[in-house]
Amino acid sequence: MKFTESIVVAAVTRTSDELMSEGAPMISRRNFITTIATGVAATALLTACGGSDGGSAGTKENPTVLNYTWWGNDDRAERTNKAIALFNEQNPTIKVVGTFSDWAGYWQKRATEAAGGGLPDVMQWDLSYLRDYAQRNQLLDLGDVGIDLSGFEKTLLPSGRVNDKQFGIPTSTNAFAVYYDPAKLKEIGVAEPTGEWTYAEYQQFLTDAGTKSGGKYYGSTDFTGIWWQFNIWLRQNNITDFTPEGKLGFTKADLTTWWNLNKDLRGTPAIIPADKVTQLLPKSPFGSNKTVSEPTWDNFMAGYIGDSGAQELKMVAVPSDDPKNLGLFLKPSMLMVASAKTKSKDAAAKFIDFMVNSPEVGEIFKTSRGVPASKTQRDGTTFEGVDAQVVAYEESIAKYLTDAPEPPIVGFGTLESEFLRIQEELNYGKVTVDQAVDQWFTSAEDVISQNS
Amino acid sequence: MVHLGRRRHQPELVVDESNALTQTSAPTRRAKSGPPLRDEKLKQRRAETRTGYIFLLPWLLGFILLTAGPMISSLYLSFTNYNLFEAPKWIGFENYTKLFQDERFLQSVKVTLTYVVFGTPAKLIAALAIAMLLNSKRRGRGFYRSAFYVPSLIGASVSVAIVWKAMFGDAGPVDQILSFFGIGLGGWVGNPNMTMPMMVLLTVWQFGAPMIIFLAGLKQVPAEMYEAAEMDGAGPVRKFLSITLPLLSPVIFFNLLMETIHAFQIFASAFIISNGTGGPAGSTMFYTLYLYLRGFGDFRMGYASAMAWLLLIVIGIITLIFFKTSNNWVHYSGDEK
Repeated sequence: MKFTESIVVAAVTRTSDELMSEGAPMISRRNFITTIATGVAATALLTACGGSDGGSAGTKENPTVLNYTWWGNDDRAERTNKAIALFNEQNPTIKVVGTFSDWAGYWQKRATEAAGGGLPDVMQWDLSYLRDYAQRNQLLDLGDVGIDLSGFEKTLLPSGRVNDKQFGIPTSTNAFAVYYDPAKLKEIGVAEPTGEWTYAEYQQFLTDAGTKSGGKYYGSTDFTGIWWQFNIWLRQNNITDFTPEGKLGFTKADLTTWWNLNKDLRGTPAIIPADKVTQLLPKSPFGSNKTVSEPTWDNFMAGYIGDSGAQELKMVAVPSDDPKNLGLFLKPSMLMVASAKTKSKDAAAKFIDFMVNSPEVGEIFKTSRGVPASKTQRDGTTFEGVDAQVVAYEESIAKYLTDAPEPPIVGFGTLESEFLRIQEELNYGKVTVDQAVDQWFTSAEDVISQNS
Repeated sequence: MVHLGRRRHQPELVVDESNALTQTSAPTRRAKSGPPLRDEKLKQRRAETRTGYIFLLPWLLGFILLTAGPMISSLYLSFTNYNLFEAPKWIGFENYTKLFQDERFLQSVKVTLTYVVFGTPAKLIAALAIAMLLNSKRRGRGFYRSAFYVPSLIGASVSVAIVWKAMFGDAGPVDQILSFFGIGLGGWVGNPNMTMPMMVLLTVWQFGAPMIIFLAGLKQVPAEMYEAAEMDGAGPVRKFLSITLPLLSPVIFFNLLMETIHAFQIFASAFIISNGTGGPAGSTMFYTLYLYLRGFGDFRMGYASAMAWLLLIVIGIITLIFFKTSNNWVHYSGDEK
């Protein structure tokens, strides 16, 4: 606004100067007005083209500006800003400028930016969207830009790779777990699970929790609605989710079996009804103290404790009908990527290296991003309380871990949300299992044909 | 519309009526204006036109760059397969034909039509009723008018949708009051059968804008008519049906049209109440919400563009139907019928 005003004032002053000077035509109301109009129009044009300079080698006086964006809550914003401040202090020739938004808005913004060719220099990224953007040449190959990858597990790095290029560097890992609230279990007289259990035993546990609490708590949300839990079950049965060609690796029969698994539990106290879940959004039923357990990623611990106000929450491994194959894996909880169009590759690489490897960054984030993926960072971080619990869980399942998943197929984000949506309709009783399976396969085949 | 047009012509009418004035002034003007003067005038006119356009320029640029341009390109995109990253691929009418096989699309049409058919009349009835109450002469009506308008000022905002969600949730005030009367429905927000009534109530509550227009219309109904009717022994119902409604019909027509178009475009409240999912079970999957999810969630911009154009066409047709049928029920004062 200030800029607009000054332009108008400048235009008016200049014209009146001209008009006042000797030999100039008489000041007329009309001329005066024309001038203002021109001024306003010029302003509109000027403000439309915002300036940007593309220098890459920064100096202390004129540092290279690096835009960084991430998703997350206020807690993560606070930690990230701390890390950025530290980086700026250590690298006076680079100035990182951070912005953030929530998860849903995040991907819509990136899509529009990518379409306009203006992705931020460095971005926090999710596995689900890596292939979408990497395959469409939006991301920078980080393989040989000077990021130290020696501290990473060899099995983890492929999850940041598309077509043999390292587009994403994992910041941290998480693993799937079943959370439970020991205080609630004690209250209703149900024994704590050990983590060595079959699906039938898991379901019995949920039923016990729901019935013995007399309506106060439900067992859990319907675990068959979670894509990653399904993925784990597929691994337990040695079925792949997606083929290397980007097609589905499982059949309608597999999905039918999976959704039928909880057929008898839906509508009982073992599983919280869909209308309750809907009303609690965006909080989870577990975080709202409506259920005694919840299967999800292990880095949600701090969030759950914050939401529910529980003294202590515990985690155990997921159930499996094959005690030797739990289907568990470490997934990069998030990755760091850079835009293919960034003008400051070196600065971007330096910042990413700092975020993934620096022990100081580890001390700032602890396990709120997941357990640090780089050994350098992990060893340099002290874990206490909740953070120690998360690290201990990942150590306890180490012997069961299989390879990290590769970046899922293009359009996976849609498939995952469709999985959740259709399963919700199943819980509302709007569709049968067979209809639900048909619906999901229809939209999955549509997505795959659209993107191949 | 007719009203407006007529008012614009009023100066001419005045001139016509005072024939003497026209006749005397016209020749004088002609005598004064020789050819050079006319040129001068033309010049001046041109300069004026130019100034006018320069003043319009910011708006014109905005219109061309931000509205007309994107609209035309969206028309083109609606015939393509476009995912924001790669160049659009021409596929002809495929997006349009696919729409009618898409169950979620059909669901969104059903939901939106239900909302328009129930929400719009309910809102107009509420607006008219309140306008009539506020039209009576009683103390503090200025205050009441402002007070009743407030919901419309804040109604479309994000915060109200959030409040609404809390009010209609499990053990929210609405559930508690209804339970008190023995109607235990539970939370409306999570119940697919109750979300539509909730959305309709939300729009009815925002009756302010049509109410103000109704109020202005009511002010123009001549009091003598009511007096005459009373003399003939007409009761309040008869007066309403025979005087108020017919005389108000142009205003009703305007409000009906605007609110219908408005209702088709409902987005923000549905987005917030369902957390952007259109749930529970697709019950708040309004047309524009599905369009948005397709475009920005699934990156199917061609498909979303086709949806947008279909909506434009449908709204256009409905507007046309309204105008065509309006002759039968809209009465403009002064029309000889």
